[in-house]
Amino acid sequence: MSTNVATYNERWVSGEIVSTTGEEMLNRRQFTKSLIATGTALAAGASSLNLATAQPRRGGRLRVAGHVQSAQDTLDPAKFVQSTDYARGHMLYNALTRIDGNGQAQPELAESFEANQDVTEWVFKLRKGVTFHDGKALGANDVIYSIMRHKDPKVASASKGLVDDLVEVTADGTDGVRVKLKSPNADIPVLLGTFGFMIVKKGTTDFSTAIGTGPFRLKEFSPGVRTVVTRNDNYFKPGRPYLDEIEYFGIADPVARLNALIAGDIDMMSDLRPNAIDEAKKASSVEVFSTPCPRFVQFAMMCDREPTNNLDLRLAVKNMLDRERIVKQVLNGYGVVANDHFVMPKSPVYNSSLPQRGVDIDKAKFHLKKAGMENASIELHVTDAVQNSIEMGLVLQRQAALAGLTINLKREPSDGYWSNIWIKRPFHAVVWNPRPTESLMATLIWKSDAKWNDTQFKDPHLDQLIDAARGTVDPDKRKQTFWDIQSIIYEQGGNAIPAFVNYIDAHSSKVKGLTPVPTGNLGGFNFADSVWLES
Amino acid sequence: MLNLIGRRALQGLLTLLVVSFLVFAGTELLPGDVAQAVLGQHATPESLQELRVQLGLDRPAPLRYLSWLAGVIHLDFGVSLASQVPVRTLVAERLGHTLILAGLSAAVAVPIAFVIGLGAATRPAGVFDRVSSIGALCVSALPEFFLGTLLVLIFAVNLRWLPAIAYVTEFRSFGQMVTSLAMPVATLAAVIVSQMARMIRATVVNVLSLPYVEMAVLKGVSYRRIILVHALRNAVGPIANVVALNLAYLVSGIVIVETVFVYPGLARLLVDAVSSRDFPVIQACVLIFCAVYIALMLLADIAAIIGNPRLRHQEMKK
Repeated sequence: MSTNVATYNERWVSGEIVSTTGEEMLNRRQFTKSLIATGTALAAGASSLNLATAQPRRGGRLRVAGHVQSAQDTLDPAKFVQSTDYARGHMLYNALTRIDGNGQAQPELAESFEANQDVTEWVFKLRKGVTFHDGKALGANDVIYSIMRHKDPKVASASKGLVDDLVEVTADGTDGVRVKLKSPNADIPVLLGTFGFMIVKKGTTDFSTAIGTGPFRLKEFSPGVRTVVTRNDNYFKPGRPYLDEIEYFGIADPVARLNALIAGDIDMMSDLRPNAIDEAKKASSVEVFSTPCPRFVQFAMMCDREPTNNLDLRLAVKNMLDRERIVKQVLNGYGVVANDHFVMPKSPVYNSSLPQRGVDIDKAKFHLKKAGMENASIELHVTDAVQNSIEMGLVLQRQAALAGLTINLKREPSDGYWSNIWIKRPFHAVVWNPRPTESLMATLIWKSDAKWNDTQFKDPHLDQLIDAARGTVDPDKRKQTFWDIQSIIYEQGGNAIPAFVNYIDAHSSKVKGLTPVPTGNLGGFNFADSVWLES
Repeated sequence: MLNLIGRRALQGLLTLLVVSFLVFAGTELLPGDVAQAVLGQHATPESLQELRVQLGLDRPAPLRYLSWLAGVIHLDFGVSLASQVPVRTLVAERLGHTLILAGLSAAVAVPIAFVIGLGAATRPAGVFDRVSSIGALCVSALPEFFLGTLLVLIFAVNLRWLPAIAYVTEFRSFGQMVTSLAMPVATLAAVIVSQMARMIRATVVNVLSLPYVEMAVLKGVSYRRIILVHALRNAVGPIANVVALNLAYLVSGIVIVETVFVYPGLARLLVDAVSSRDFPVIQACVLIFCAVYIALMLLADIAAIIGNPRLRHQEMKK
């Protein structure tokens, strides 16, 4: 069994793992179940597939090219907003928890964590014997400082919006912290495993260097150019990391990035474009690494302005979207058909009672007529800043023409798209990267008062349901609440969501130990302490 | 001559001042600011406001411009708003890379351009002239990203002779520098050689049709001597200008080549700075480009004056 699972270069489409080598593979869920059934405990922080990989080799230097190249590169977790920061952060720091392949929190710097009865307080017990790169032992004060600094206005944290719910963080005994919340929140362990909440030393204000607990020490940091890190011999995970050194830099041009990988100048790259997958597969030394995830592209139809405030127009558009074609042709198969809401079919809270929408021109015509918009024309804003939105817009445009609606595609420059077009134009493309939990996603985008409610769809009942979902631990109740949330968004919302878009990366066949994590490219950007190089 | 240099330097300073103002105004017109770029799409208004205060972005625009200007007069180019690194450090590193690439490209391209241009001018409408003209036109019609990517596909992906990316922060040896930079230099050289060669040919052919050249031919002066001594000196003005323009382009206009070969040069820094609205960095890059243009055009004029006695005397009369 373990050798089968060791083939990690799978294509995991619609919840199935299909081995590219044609071997029979286990479904991830079955595998996890079988592990638990045989009484094998999941090692802290290691995901199920990783456990089963062949014996890792120590040593080697890994050259990684990210898809973002930015002069804003930073070592301050409070300013982490780009993938380059996430990857660098995971080399140098750790968070209290680590998000695994199923999007669940696993112990990392925290050895264990539990909530009180009504989920308004969480206690994290810290791992013993963890030291920072300068030799100082990790203590509760460092954790308190690292979390609470996001609330300090002087820090101007990019994650400030995520800590509004936190009342305070205090020491709990000698080796624990207690997190007090304003309202019940079952997702705190996952939240504290995200990029902004990496643990720094108490009192750190100068981030020109990085003193973390992470698997690597900082050797060279040149914003917009490169980051070089070397092995931390005192890392708290025995035997890890496997690599001696990592060099990380950005190659913004997708063609140059893939060429560099094929030519062997880099070992691993993030963001392989769907249209280049066949090219990458032709190269014998390159493997495609795909991560199904709840990242979705949507056409936002704003419910507070003409013409998209008309529910019938919105329903007409939702019935024009050729989702199958978008997944097959635009995404080259590396995606999952969506049903105009944000929950993926494989999620335990997916509402399976809602009929899957497809192209229904008669229905679309019916709604257009009801809206009084037969033969009307509307503008749809698309951009390179929303990957694949131009191609998806073209697919929509063609079906809309059949139903008698003219869609004028306005291609907007990437630069300034988020300040000029997003939540400003009635009909525009948006991409939403996965949030650690479904309730966080719903809170961010669908609450009436949410700043990023990009469709401006406001419904007090939906607000209540979203608040309730966040504090609910009981699985059945939670599922029912999410079912209702999905059906409201599906029936009335302003979101035409054609597909969930996989993260697609590529690496040399020498790179081993990479496992998919649905929060981002390259194992949720958390590859530093698990990847190794085959000799 | 000194008079000319002094006058041109003053004009240059004035140009730089005007350019810096225009760039500042342009940056102000762009939507969004550096705080939004640093905190990302999902920043809260409070964090944005706090960061703006910390960076001094809450001050009125004219005040910000003047305080930046006051710094520059004291040769203090400020600190990058996005990364908090001194602009001087950021720019110095990138400028070094750019100068290496531009210098190598010029060292390769200029001699080749002269050989092709003069060769073609020797026998207009001859075989060499035709072949080189067609070749030059074809190469200059190829966009850099195409030529660059083509070279990468052939020499890095298929033949594996050269690295696909010229990405380096330090060159460990001369050999490594040559292999890393071979393709970017080839791409840049191809583009500018064709332009310069055609210009050299046209100017020299033009001079060769003048009566004094006919006189020299009748006197039995060798063809080589006519071209190198008699014709080229009179053609040096326009040629120096086109060479200077191409060199200035090598410093400022090669963002595409820097992108294709992942080379951390100054043009790429400017593009990054514009997308993060990092005003001090934008200004520093633009002023360097502008100064390079001014300096090279001045050098071209001086070369023309030295090469051509008539201009020299005109200059003296003034």
